[in-house]
Amino acid sequence: MSATTQSPIKFTDLARDAVLRFADMGGDSSPAVRIQVSSPSPLDPRYEITLIDDQEKCEEDLVFGQQGFEVVMDPESAKLLDGASVDWVESLQQSGFKVENPNLAPIGSKPLEGPLADRVRQVIEQYVNPGVAQHGGHVTLVEVRDKIVYLQMGGGCQGCGMASVTLSQGIERILKEQVPEIVGIEDVTNHSAGDSPYFTSEK
Amino acid sequence: MPRVLLLFARTSYRAEAFLEAARRLGVDVTVGSNHRQALADFAPGATLTLGFRDVARSSATIVRFAADYPLAAIVAAGDDFTPLAAAASEALDLTHHPSQAVRCARNKALMRERLSEAGFSSPWFRTTRLDEEPAAVASKIEFPCVLKPLALSASRGVIRADTPEQFVRAWQRIRGILEQDDVVGRIGQLASELLIEAYLPGREVALEGIVSAGELRTLAVLDKPDLMDGPFFEETILVTPSRFPEQVQEDIVSMVSRCAAHLGLSDGPIHAELRVDADRISLLEIAPRSIGGRCSRILRFEPDKSLEELILRHSLGMPHDDFLREPGAAGVMMLPIPAAGVLREVVGLEAALEVPGIEGLEITIPLGHTVVPLPEGNRYLGFLFARAETPDHVENVLRAAHARIKVCIEEA
Repeated sequence: MSATTQSPIKFTDLARDAVLRFADMGGDSSPAVRIQVSSPSPLDPRYEITLIDDQEKCEEDLVFGQQGFEVVMDPESAKLLDGASVDWVESLQQSGFKVENPNLAPIGSKPLEGPLADRVRQVIEQYVNPGVAQHGGHVTLVEVRDKIVYLQMGGGCQGCGMASVTLSQGIERILKEQVPEIVGIEDVTNHSAGDSPYFTSEK
Repeated sequence: MPRVLLLFARTSYRAEAFLEAARRLGVDVTVGSNHRQALADFAPGATLTLGFRDVARSSATIVRFAADYPLAAIVAAGDDFTPLAAAASEALDLTHHPSQAVRCARNKALMRERLSEAGFSSPWFRTTRLDEEPAAVASKIEFPCVLKPLALSASRGVIRADTPEQFVRAWQRIRGILEQDDVVGRIGQLASELLIEAYLPGREVALEGIVSAGELRTLAVLDKPDLMDGPFFEETILVTPSRFPEQVQEDIVSMVSRCAAHLGLSDGPIHAELRVDADRISLLEIAPRSIGGRCSRILRFEPDKSLEELILRHSLGMPHDDFLREPGAAGVMMLPIPAAGVLREVVGLEAALEVPGIEGLEITIPLGHTVVPLPEGNRYLGFLFARAETPDHVENVLRAAHARIKVCIEEA
């Protein structure tokens, strides 16, 4: 276990107050908080923030001082959280910690720009959308990150039983042929929300 | 890189799982389906449009296709395309169950005949044409009995009758199903007949396996803990490993193995359904395909293999015997459709997902669509998936999660 004072992650005042409030409720006078990246997927990055006891710290953990409590991270999470900030948000529906992490910005949160994105968009408009329009569908480019194209399907494609076939046997092949530097295609569609799929599955 | 032809009906639940398995194996894929793919013009060799009724014609199409795009395997995901996969595999000398065996296993009456002739324990049965007079047929049979279409799956159109009156009503309902255009389109001549057989009491169990060069490898024995005593036989929960005593499970495996061998199912996946009543085991059916719906998701094999990947490995001649099912128990609940009408809302999904042990939930009918319960229905409302230490725990988890889901259906 190594301890430093320079934390790679910042807590807002509200987040810090929340941690201290929870620690106080548990009667903990020297609290420690573990922050872990439980899912590093840019499609759905997830974090776990928990109060821990001393015996829950591991040998390889990195420990940082943080104005009234310790922040504990495993080395991989520390790398992924470098420059992140933790806030505490409250609304009528829910309250909780919110992590803003520039390293794992959710797909679709970055502006869609650049020559690669332009070329991909052009291929979608020229080849893909006229084709899937026959089934009442359409495809939207959400982001190109690390040469992976993130797409959203709509209309007849959203929830369609053959959407995966259209993606792998059509869209992916067309995109990789027209834009060879693309290394992967990811479908970020919420297919369960599709209300007019072209084909629905049957027994 | 070898190329596999995957055959899916356009309404298949299985496309995504098989495509993912093929991707992980790094094989080229062509998808054959009964509907022209929207982007077929821009991706030659990626898709093939095939009918499943005219097997000879579609098989010839596949053989011509294979001259340009050599095929290493042909795998059908469900019932509809299995005869075509068998015929085309025979024509191209690829690994598959033989056509004759597939034809026999797909026709429930023919399967009963073959197994009965060979001396396998069978309920009494008879086949009748739908244009016969049901009351006259009812006067010649014993009750309770079960009426079944010859070639539909997932208990669609299967009805128990305890009296002649129930028999006639069941007959009329099944005739309504078998006269539907989509059913005639799928099973052709088989839609004109019915199988009637003795009702077999007992608990239902399923066996999932792969037959390789005539040897059955059992992948899972799955319990169906809900009592299935009719009048309809809705499948809900499947849990593995089975809680039947070891000897009973061995007998189940032995019976399925002998029946598959007798029918000639020699190379490919099989899915068998049986009834166990005390120490008596009866085979209900054995299909030359893998488990349906999205149920395969509960079957995972170490290290990190899906059922679909094992099936592809077998068909491609790659090693598949060493992968063991992951430890622990797993289960799926095929969410029942409680009433006919229009699906307006499904609430409680998040609450269901919060039940410890639940690892997935999929609603597969969009809101606003018409839903039809069994025996007429041909769609699953959705699937709940669970994993836990023991089968009892899995079953409890599935029931607890299902209790949190409320389905709002507006009467049509």
